[in-house]
Amino acid sequence: MSAEAPPFEARDIAFSYGSLQVLNGLSLSVTRGEIFGVLGANGAGKTTLMRLLMGLLKPSSGQALVFGEPASPKQSTRVGYMPQLSALYTELSVQQNVDFFARMYGMSDRGERREAVGRALEWVALSERRGDSLLKLSGGMRQRVSLAIALVHRPPLLVLDEPTVGLDPELRASFWGRFRSAAAAGDTIVISSHTMDDAAHCERLAFIQEGRVIALGSPTELRSAVGTPDASLEDAFLHFVRHGGTR
Amino acid sequence: MSIDRTLAIAIRIVSQILRDRRSIGLIFVAPIMVMSLVGFSFADQRLVLDRVAPALIATFALFFTFMLTGVSFLRERSQGTLERLLTTPVGRADILVGYLLGFLVFAAIQSLVVLLYTIVALQIDYQGSFAEMVVVLLVLTVAAVNLGIFVSTFARNEFQVVQFIPVILAPQIFLSGVILPVAQLPAYFQAVSNVLPLTYAVSGLKAIMLEGRGLSGAAGDIAVLTSFAVALLALAALTVRRT
Repeated sequence: MSAEAPPFEARDIAFSYGSLQVLNGLSLSVTRGEIFGVLGANGAGKTTLMRLLMGLLKPSSGQALVFGEPASPKQSTRVGYMPQLSALYTELSVQQNVDFFARMYGMSDRGERREAVGRALEWVALSERRGDSLLKLSGGMRQRVSLAIALVHRPPLLVLDEPTVGLDPELRASFWGRFRSAAAAGDTIVISSHTMDDAAHCERLAFIQEGRVIALGSPTELRSAVGTPDASLEDAFLHFVRHGGTR
Repeated sequence: MSIDRTLAIAIRIVSQILRDRRSIGLIFVAPIMVMSLVGFSFADQRLVLDRVAPALIATFALFFTFMLTGVSFLRERSQGTLERLLTTPVGRADILVGYLLGFLVFAAIQSLVVLLYTIVALQIDYQGSFAEMVVVLLVLTVAAVNLGIFVSTFARNEFQVVQFIPVILAPQIFLSGVILPVAQLPAYFQAVSNVLPLTYAVSGLKAIMLEGRGLSGAAGDIAVLTSFAVALLALAALTVRRT
């Protein structure tokens, strides 16, 4: 592993589910300490890219590199993953869910785990509900449990697939504040989303369509490409979608 | 392989099932209901019941264990929890042995309920000791848990896993000596019965319960059943990443 290697790099990745080509020569590189957004319509290939990044899928061609090495579950101690499906054990409590995954990440010491779980639950503002069964929680709260699991082992790279779905505006704002603090401390955050609200919070964005990056840059750069002074990110996205994207 | 992770997975599965009170109730009620039905059906034919009891005990133990494990493991996959587990440093062996231990607790309870109810409530005549029967049944249960995990990796939803019941279980019921002795089957079916785990469980239980040959008399069957259990675990390890 190179000290200079980007936390995540996609090099000309192609991937298909059977005859369905999902990613088609996708390339991008995420630098350390940034909040990077992957934006696209439903079916654009965002979740597939996230799963490739986690080593759950193997590209049919090209390379998915995490800290300079081919993406695989072996690097999972350095990566925190929040899937689109909350993927939780609904019969168990909030604490049991987070504690279980902390143990899977290798925290065998009970004291260390207690501290890590407490910190993660505080991060997602669920300390008060730690004893509750997930069956008693709303969808948004389950999302927060899922996020707590992703960061319980303090990974330097967070991969979050649609993390703000189901969150109320206040909590969403709070999360973005925390994401920015984490990035300022050197952590890297890769977020997939289809909402422009999330996009506005990212430092850099990749618009993807039909498995390819159609535009890459900061929100300001992407907005300016539209050519109108008050263009929104939504305008920018539609602009690149309609014009094929060359940026 | 990490013992801590393996145990954590097993404990988590046990905790999950324990919180599902209806499932816990059904783990006890379902085998009792089925074996009661068997008992009533053979009420006037006690001698026949004594003869078929070993095969029925093995069959229902296989059936309940396969169902419990197949559906539970499929749920792990369909809810995304297995995939999430695969994004952690946990190894395949940790996952499979953890699941095996977790499911085995309840599968073994269910198999023992079948056995105990048949002996105590239906009051069959048998030879051999209870412990000898438990040995055969536990090895069958381990094989059935692994079979359930392996087969469920080929199903995408509960409906599909239920469709595997006739595919996997029907040949075993017809060809493993449950209905007709294997020796009375056509030669080609006898060849098929040689690769069915239930054949050896039925044969082993018959050796103990009907012939009184003890564990040494069932040793060959137990050895083959153990090989099935190991082979099925290895096959499940190959397919566990199918998500």
